[in-house]
Amino acid sequence: MKAGRLERTVGLVLGVGAIVSVALLAMGIAGMWAAHVGPLDRPFPPFDLGRLPVDLASLKAAGFLWLGLLAVILTPSFRVIASLVGFAAAGERRMVAVAVVVLAAICLSAALGAGG
Amino acid sequence: MAELLLIVGGVAAGAFGALLGLGGGVLIVPLLTLGFGLPLRESVGASLVCVIVTSSAAASVYLQRDVANLRLGMTLEMFTAIAAMAGGLVAFLVPDRVLALMFAALLAYVAVTMARARDARDGRVAQDAADAPGDAPREAAEDAERRPGGTNTAGDGGLIASLSGPGYRVRNLGLGVLGSLVAGVVSALFGVGGGIVKVPVMNLIMGVPIRVATATSNLMIGVTASAGALIYLFRGGIDPYVAAPTALGVFAGASLASRLSHRVDLGTLRLLFVAVLVVTAAQMALRGIG
Repeated sequence: MKAGRLERTVGLVLGVGAIVSVALLAMGIAGMWAAHVGPLDRPFPPFDLGRLPVDLASLKAAGFLWLGLLAVILTPSFRVIASLVGFAAAGERRMVAVAVVVLAAICLSAALGAGG
Repeated sequence: MAELLLIVGGVAAGAFGALLGLGGGVLIVPLLTLGFGLPLRESVGASLVCVIVTSSAAASVYLQRDVANLRLGMTLEMFTAIAAMAGGLVAFLVPDRVLALMFAALLAYVAVTMARARDARDGRVAQDAADAPGDAPREAAEDAERRPGGTNTAGDGGLIASLSGPGYRVRNLGLGVLGSLVAGVVSALFGVGGGIVKVPVMNLIMGVPIRVATATSNLMIGVTASAGALIYLFRGGIDPYVAAPTALGVFAGASLASRLSHRVDLGTLRLLFVAVLVVTAAQMALRGIG
């Protein structure tokens, strides 16, 4: 992959991720309005990966909100994966190692968060 | 009604932040904490989400225009991500009042930095003109054409050479790593992007032109905030009912600001921003004192 092209590809991944995230969040907010749920209502639905497909299938606001928030949080990780693939294709071993360390740090964060 | 207020508040924070080169996080946390009475930790969680959205959208443009330095950004974000993980864990151990006092200190620091920005900016512009004359994206594109085999190793295969860009050579990488660690902790503790630390470190210490430093910092913010946000997500620190409308507003505000930036008197805006920061810092300090 030519230099410059990699940057454009990675930029595209970020741009698409941002648009998809915002679209999902907007659908979730529309669902909140439809269900007369206020942002300051308590308790808020907890994050539960197992419930996500069920909430999405039943068109619940919480499903779209959590999927949108997940898309927001994971978009930078997709950018790192795209970079990793590009660096590997270009034979930049040092940058491949850097990308692996960044991904490992993100995974460790998730593991520590879930483990706490 | 509260959704609309959150969206409008997000639009204002996003527009303010984008016009002044900040992520907006520094305004979102006080908005949610002082304006909507939310717990500080939930405000930080929502702010991290907002910061990631704006970073992804802005970095997408910066990368496609070849302004951001992807290799330098990824190298430094190894350290911002690890530090953000640590900061996220610490945030759940620090009492709310202590966190409020620390946030007040951060706001005061940003206010002082912004108040002094005018002089510094004049100096940096002159320095940038000497460092990287001409149009940075065009030069970056030309440089990309010159790189053999698509790698950015500049022939000698050295680490510094591979991280440097057209018209500048990265220096003081160790200090850059140190600054990245600080930025990572600050980001996860306070729900900000950490650009207020990274941009000066890259520009003044590492010799990266201000335009590239700003774009590269923006790129790094996504991964940094993401590492912190995952801790908040799994520990119940993100309220989807609050984070979603605020993030939508911030995204809209930042997008709007990029189209209005040439019509706004940034000097007046900066003064107004400093005043808002000073008042907010005082209110956060009062909350911390209890």
